Amino acid sequence: MKKNRNVGIIGVGQSVYSSHREEVNQPEMIHEAVAEALAHAGMTIDDIDCIVHGNMELFEMVHQPDCWHSLGIGSVGKETLRVTTGGTTGATICATADYLVASGLHDVVLAVGFEKLQEGHTTGGITNMADPLWARQLQTGALTGMTAAAVIEEFGEERAKKASMKYRIIMDKHAMKNKKAHRRLGLEFDQADDLMVNSPALVGELRMIHMCSQSDGACAVIFASEEKAKQFRKNPAWIKDHITVHREESFGCFGDEPFVLSHRYAAEKLFARNGIKNPRKEIDMFEMYDPSSWWGLDWLREFLLFDGDEHLKMVENDEITIDGDFPINPSGGVTASNPIGATALVRVAEAALQIMGEAGEHQVPKTVNQALASGFGGTLWTVLFLLTREAP
Amino acid sequence: MNTAKDDCFVVKGKLALPYQYFAGKTGSRFIISLRDEHKIRGLKCEKCGKVFVPPRSTCDICFENIADKWVDVANTGTVTGFTIIRYEEPHQPVKPPYVLGLVKLDGADTPIAHIVKGVALSKMAVGLKVKAVFAKKTTNSIMDIDHFQVVGDKPKFELGYSYEELEVGMSASFTKTISETDVYLFAGISGDFNPMHLNEEFAKLTPFGTRIAHGALPQSLIAPVLGMKLPGLGTVIPEITVKFRKPTYFGDTITAVGEVVEKIEKKKWVRMELRWTNQKDELVAEGSCLAIPPAAFLKK
Repeated sequence: MKKNRNVGIIGVGQSVYSSHREEVNQPEMIHEAVAEALAHAGMTIDDIDCIVHGNMELFEMVHQPDCWHSLGIGSVGKETLRVTTGGTTGATICATADYLVASGLHDVVLAVGFEKLQEGHTTGGITNMADPLWARQLQTGALTGMTAAAVIEEFGEERAKKASMKYRIIMDKHAMKNKKAHRRLGLEFDQADDLMVNSPALVGELRMIHMCSQSDGACAVIFASEEKAKQFRKNPAWIKDHITVHREESFGCFGDEPFVLSHRYAAEKLFARNGIKNPRKEIDMFEMYDPSSWWGLDWLREFLLFDGDEHLKMVENDEITIDGDFPINPSGGVTASNPIGATALVRVAEAALQIMGEAGEHQVPKTVNQALASGFGGTLWTVLFLLTREAP
Repeated sequence: MNTAKDDCFVVKGKLALPYQYFAGKTGSRFIISLRDEHKIRGLKCEKCGKVFVPPRSTCDICFENIADKWVDVANTGTVTGFTIIRYEEPHQPVKPPYVLGLVKLDGADTPIAHIVKGVALSKMAVGLKVKAVFAKKTTNSIMDIDHFQVVGDKPKFELGYSYEELEVGMSASFTKTISETDVYLFAGISGDFNPMHLNEEFAKLTPFGTRIAHGALPQSLIAPVLGMKLPGLGTVIPEITVKFRKPTYFGDTITAVGEVVEKIEKKKWVRMELRWTNQKDELVAEGSCLAIPPAAFLKK
């Protein structure tokens, strides 16, 4: 990707994530994140030129919420765009903010993602995505057991289930370090054998414990041109590159033919054009949109372009823990907190905080020079961000 | 291009999207005040001084957190905008036609949308004073205010037709039976104790052979027509002419009719034809008058 000028992240704010934020309405909850992002960047709302707002369509059964959210966002008198691309929305907001600043249209752009999943009916909204003639009556919403079945088939039941549970417990241990995370269960590794059998089954071997939460929450991230970024912060997290790969609306459109997952396709392209030959070594941490621990486990292979069982070994050998060699989701990830319209934005925000060294209790102990952040949505869609500590 | 639709399916669908909305502390407190105290409260931004009703936790102009700056506002206010809903559909709160208004409550700086009642649709206007009417049953929503009722500026009297409203051909009438009592009272009012009206034996000597009413008595029955019906309250009659055609006997039922026959644009007056008939449809009297209708501005 050719860039007109560099863009840096200079402020991050997040609301508390919880199953029910009944004490605040939507604009009030968003305001928490916006106020924190402005304070983090050392700015006031007057320093913001433009706002990009996004969340899922239909999830709260509201139309054009960006209009009445102006009360919490501070978009009065400012150019405001609403972006909605399903689960990838949060990352698409980042891409939009990056385009707006990189192009020179605006110097400082505030990206805001939110969701209040308890206010709506997620599966109702998601089902509406499917083609009305061919698929809508057959949709089951966001849950699928396909990946669990595939991993079990490839690596055997015991190894697959153990790796998936270990991934899940590592994520919970990370969430325990993040006070804003929604689900902080305090799981221990010796509970794995019990949970993988006794947690309520959802679809196939996808169990409740593997699956992401339904959260209320908002995230705000401030993007600035290089000149402005340096004015407000000595350690911005720079947007090196990002790629969006969206594909057809039906999982089964290729039948049983093997096909390249959008994650792998996105990673291959992104790494190639940025000269990354060994992502496992060259990238310091990864905030992955991992809607379940089966997907988190399986997608690690896709993103890092592995072919064998290297991804399983990474989990088995504790490489993905916060103090491991390749930390995944020090924030706790999506299985801990999932306010969907914000979820992919949180990935970018958390990766930026890790680069800045300002993630607090869940800061990884090493210097993060290069980080990945992914968004996921639709029927396997990917937005993949590459962030750096040095200006590109 | 072939646009024939034969054998093309239309997939019928229906989405059920149940939802709830978390009102939050601020919105909930507003509703609780409405529900429990019938009090309307707003939030004040101390930086710009604006009072927001409905309340908002953040002043969107100053971007200040104002969530604890509650102030009372009045239950009365002014209409700052409105529209009249005339089509019907299932989501509406009441049956059309109805007025949806923006009401800026006294003490608030922002208007609240609600139903406005108590005014003819044609008289609905920006600037009308309204008062909140609270719902009998709570729904824990903004519908705890049932509607806003128009108050204050309503005219005390229903004035008659203005010049602009009057049209050639409009008519009105008044009917009354003339009794002996009416005649005797009229004799007292006018001082006309002429025996042809009061003394049957004397009346037998007159061409009428019996007592008749004073000519001005049936004539006066046009007064309630002109002054109270057409044009109606507020009318002035500068000229009236009458020709008497038949006597009015005791017990006759007289109908006085006035009809607009000409609009005099220059003066904004109307000319009216007047007719009096009895129960046998006989013409008792006829004439005409000039009428100065109530001025249009009086009616606002």
